[in-house]
Amino acid sequence: ESKYATKETSKCKKAVCLPTFLSVLIVISLPKGHPDDIFPMVLTSATQKLFGCLADEDVTGESPYKLLKKDDIIQDIKTRAAVSDFSPVKQTVLDYPEDEILLVFDRDFTYDQCFYLALTPEAKKRILNPPEPETPEVLENEVNKTPEPRKWIPQGSEQEVEKESVKETREKLCFKCSIVRRKFGAPVCFSDRNAADTKDAFLECPSYEDSRFSIKQMQRDCGIQAVPKLWSSSAQTQWYVLNNKSTQYMPREQSDEERESILKSKSLKNFLNSVTPRVLHALQQTEIMNVFIDDWKALGAGNDDSDFFGQVSEGLMLFRALSDQMHTKNKKISCVNWHPTIYGIIAVALTEKKKEQLNESTKVDVRPSLIIFYSFSDTSGPQLLLECPDDIFAFEFCPSDPNIVVGGCINGQVVLWDISAHVTHLQGTQAGGKKSSINPDTFDLDDNKEKKTPIVCYCAVSSIESGLKAPITDVQWLPPTFEVTRTGLAVENKSNLSIQVVTCSPEGSIMFWDVRATKLSRHSASGKKQKADQKSQMAPFSVPDTFKHLDQTWKPLFRDGEIVYADWKLLKDDSGRLNSEKPLHCSSIHHWIVNTVQRSPFFKDIILTVGAWDFAIWREGVMGGPIIQSPSSEQVYTVGCWSLSRPAVFFLGKEDGSIEVWNLLAKTGAPVQVYAHVTKAKITCIKPWTASTCKFTASVVPNLESISMKHYLFYYVVVLLCYTTESNIRTCLTKCKSFGAE
Amino acid sequence: MAEVEETLKRIQGQKGVQGIIIVNSEGIPIKTTLDNASTMQYAGLLHQLVMKARSTVRDIDPQNDLTFMRVRSKKNEIMIAPDKDYFLIVIQNPSD
Repeated sequence: ESKYATKETSKCKKAVCLPTFLSVLIVISLPKGHPDDIFPMVLTSATQKLFGCLADEDVTGESPYKLLKKDDIIQDIKTRAAVSDFSPVKQTVLDYPEDEILLVFDRDFTYDQCFYLALTPEAKKRILNPPEPETPEVLENEVNKTPEPRKWIPQGSEQEVEKESVKETREKLCFKCSIVRRKFGAPVCFSDRNAADTKDAFLECPSYEDSRFSIKQMQRDCGIQAVPKLWSSSAQTQWYVLNNKSTQYMPREQSDEERESILKSKSLKNFLNSVTPRVLHALQQTEIMNVFIDDWKALGAGNDDSDFFGQVSEGLMLFRALSDQMHTKNKKISCVNWHPTIYGIIAVALTEKKKEQLNESTKVDVRPSLIIFYSFSDTSGPQLLLECPDDIFAFEFCPSDPNIVVGGCINGQVVLWDISAHVTHLQGTQAGGKKSSINPDTFDLDDNKEKKTPIVCYCAVSSIESGLKAPITDVQWLPPTFEVTRTGLAVENKSNLSIQVVTCSPEGSIMFWDVRATKLSRHSASGKKQKADQKSQMAPFSVPDTFKHLDQTWKPLFRDGEIVYADWKLLKDDSGRLNSEKPLHCSSIHHWIVNTVQRSPFFKDIILTVGAWDFAIWREGVMGGPIIQSPSSEQVYTVGCWSLSRPAVFFLGKEDGSIEVWNLLAKTGAPVQVYAHVTKAKITCIKPWTASTCKFTASVVPNLESISMKHYLFYYVVVLLCYTTESNIRTCLTKCKSFGAE
Repeated sequence: MAEVEETLKRIQGQKGVQGIIIVNSEGIPIKTTLDNASTMQYAGLLHQLVMKARSTVRDIDPQNDLTFMRVRSKKNEIMIAPDKDYFLIVIQNPSD
């Protein structure tokens, strides 16, 4: 009836084909959706003109309401009867109670038509005056309502839908199957069967590559994206503590101009003026005296650490022993002397061991008499041999020229040697031990050590007639400052050389010998010695007929010569007159022979005399007697000597071979120390020597005099005592070892 | 200038004097009789020493001040006469 009736609801078709495709086509039917009291209608344009409600002219979207008179509508219906647009609502209009009916222009086609008519006055009211408070509820109701379907407006998607959809391209095939009649009514079971289960159940046409043509893909779209390659890395600087490895700097200097300007400046002048006195004062102070010097150290304590007040060791220690088999057999040592300048050289005079020394030339022994030089450093054998015409009792080195040796023979002759040719040899032994470079003979390696030591012959000897008849018992050089003239006066020696020799003998004569002239004739081996001698006769006292040693010591100072002459009595003589002078003084303190007279090296007027049984200390000028006289000892003193380093110490040798050390500061009544039986024989000679800080005392002992065994192997002993100065006295004693048999 | 020379000669004429250096207050040598290397050494080292000594003296008694300094060694003696602006350094070998 109405054109705008709802669309025909098409039935849902379900197309079921034998294949498994299934498609569903659903057509939506639009339901009727307007209220009952509103009647949507279409007004023709003629009607619109008639009633003055032209669409979009009289009634617009803003004012869509038009009130139409009821009479007009009835009139229109009467005139146009069935053609009138209002004919469907004729009855309603007739029944309308009011006069005006609302016509609404439905521009938006909300009720599917252009216009609609409000059929009841309530609707009219309602439309004209929409109730406001009801609107939210109305809206909610409308929201909750399912949206009304609208007309499908195709956009073009139906083509794709159609493309995709499956349509039947032919009629369905219909198969009719019937079973045999007899199985009618029987239950039937239908089941499915897969087409692939049975062979040949179906035919397929697979696709294959047609070989008639091949399509090469010439172009292909591919997408490329540039991707930046990223990787991350890191670096870390290590932070060390900063410190300077090295610094280099330069001293600041000033330029020359600055220096010049400063030097000229006044302030510098003032400074120097003010400062100079102090500086000069200080300079002078240091010049005058060194305040920091250590006096104690400077005193020369040397190697010794011990203090001065410590124990003074007075021991004597054996230092060196020398022995010589060949030369000293059967011999006695009469005198020993140190070489004055060469350290470590000792000269030894040997004599025949005889009971009767006064006998001359009855010796059976054909060996020549010798003075033998020995060296500390070369202990192999003698270094030098001095030939003597006869046995020597006493010899001395010349104090001013150590190369000249004078000796007094047993027959009264005075002999001179000059060893200057062999000094280097002696010094060579001193320096390095067994230096054999000088003497090639020493390479001889004989077992008995027979080295050819050089032999020096005497260069001058006094004539036998002019000499003494008795053996010379002592020889002394006059000090260099002193000489005695022909007439016996002592005068000053201008040449400062020791040129005169004094000899004495038991017959009571003292002879002065002058060696000057012999210097001209040195090279003649047997030149006669000119003697300008003074013979001074002393009134001899009765000389006991025994052998005696005489030591004569001279004043080291230059003074009028006083000769201390010791016989078995002590005699004194005053100034220089030697001729037939009577002795001033004589005393017979020593009841036996006097064997040693020696001045103290420290005190010029103290004299030590050693007699047989005692010793005495005298002072010059004191005529009454000795200052000190020792008590008698049990044994015979044979020799004595002062210590060179300590003023109150002297050494005495005894007959039994022991050495006594006396220290007058410590004890005056007894020896401080006794070294008993140092040697087996008596000690005949003690000579002190200084060598650096050590003092050597050579004491020569002829042994075996007291031993009367014949077949005894003789040996001589060189006893050396050495001791140091100052606090520590280390005295050394050397003892010779005996060769062979005991 | 001549006076300076004369004074230095007087000092140099003393027995045992090995060298003289005049140093300013910063330790830079002004005049010397030694060679350059020794001078630099002496100047630098002694300057510090004198500063130290002077500060010591003044610390103990602020009224006090250093007037003279002698350094005695094994081999020689160094004498320093300080002043406000300059030092005079003399090196002497003692008599013995």
